[in-house]
Amino acid sequence: MAHLDAAHNLAFHLLRERADAQDAVQDAYVRAYRAFAQLQGEDIKPWLLTIVRNVCYRRLQERRRMSNVISLDETLSTRAGAASIEAECTANTPSPEQNAIRASDATVLTQALAALPPAFREVIVLRELEELSYREVADIVGAPIGTVMSRLSRARAELRALMMKLLAQDNNNAM
Amino acid sequence: MQCDRVQELLGAYGDGELSGDERRSMSTHLESCKACGDILADYGRIGRALKRHGRVCAPPVLAARIGAALDQIESELPSAVLQPARRFALAGRVFDMRGFARRAASLAAACFIGALAAWNFVDAAGQSDRMERDVLNAHMRSLLQESPVQVASNDKHNVQPWFAGRTDFAPAVKDLAEDGFPLVGGRLDYVADRRVGVVVYKRGLHMINVFMWPSPSSADSAPRIVTRKGYNLLSWSRSGVSYWAASDLNSEEMRTLSRLL
Repeated sequence: MAHLDAAHNLAFHLLRERADAQDAVQDAYVRAYRAFAQLQGEDIKPWLLTIVRNVCYRRLQERRRMSNVISLDETLSTRAGAASIEAECTANTPSPEQNAIRASDATVLTQALAALPPAFREVIVLRELEELSYREVADIVGAPIGTVMSRLSRARAELRALMMKLLAQDNNNAM
Repeated sequence: MQCDRVQELLGAYGDGELSGDERRSMSTHLESCKACGDILADYGRIGRALKRHGRVCAPPVLAARIGAALDQIESELPSAVLQPARRFALAGRVFDMRGFARRAASLAAACFIGALAAWNFVDAAGQSDRMERDVLNAHMRSLLQESPVQVASNDKHNVQPWFAGRTDFAPAVKDLAEDGFPLVGGRLDYVADRRVGVVVYKRGLHMINVFMWPSPSSADSAPRIVTRKGYNLLSWSRSGVSYWAASDLNSEEMRTLSRLL
């Protein structure tokens, strides 16, 4: 329970950097703790994820202010992140054959997801990974349901296109 | 419907978020259009792969770190500034938050005591009645453990017999996977001064604890919902059995489950 995994999951996907994601979650929990008295009969999870999201966006803005170019560090840490997620995922898979297939799919998937803009990434994470309803996603990202629906639609189309591109590259490399 | 429009709506169609009319036009189109059908299948595969590989859970050390940070600000809280009543309410909630944050640090026992203390405050303030508190406590406690069940199985033929001889009343266990409430398992708990069987179902990522015990003297009653601390508690009686369901699931889906049980 705790929603700590959900909070961390969202922060990690938005920031794509482990240490930064952990700092953001801690920051969000401290804010939530101070604001807890204001929570009245709402679901804790969407409320908490809204705070996590706001903290992450502030951090993303700060990063952008610090440098206008895409930093090499970010690209590198994204790769490292992808590799260790893969390691975590394969830790409890049953057979070596399946490992190979799943690991390669997971890598492509993580790369494709990381390549989406944050606004697309967050709706995918909230809907597909946290399994929230469109209403809850709309509340968290502060947009109307219709906007969430079209954003999610474009995010899925783009994710699929990116995965197909990456898989095609893999095949070419293999040959 | 044109393919362009269909492809815009494919995701929402797969998520079951379309209105009846749109859903029907989509189905009609998908019956005859392979291209759109292929994309829908891809979305399904990508969704499943994401669920399997995409979730990046918090490392255990983070819970401990946050617990320490919360302890720190607790000591800094300007208690003189706060109204006594507000302070009271805050104290109860504070314990909850700490319970959440520390779970992964294997301090389940400490959390349990914390939660009990918090609930004692709440009780003293007369904020919730005893039964609601017992059920919610049991629900929260189950979520703090490694597993909310003592017998884990999605087959009712494994779960139902497990209760035999463990309680004086064997709770009904149903297979509701097709209705979107897969069975997680069963356990024993202690609610309202008695040992009760609890059947645990799941909806998406939400756990639902269903408590039931015999109450031959009570008349049938319609489901009544209350929200406590962001959790929904649904209670009803049927054929001499009292039911309580607890979850962070929304009230509409809670009611759906009560109709199925």
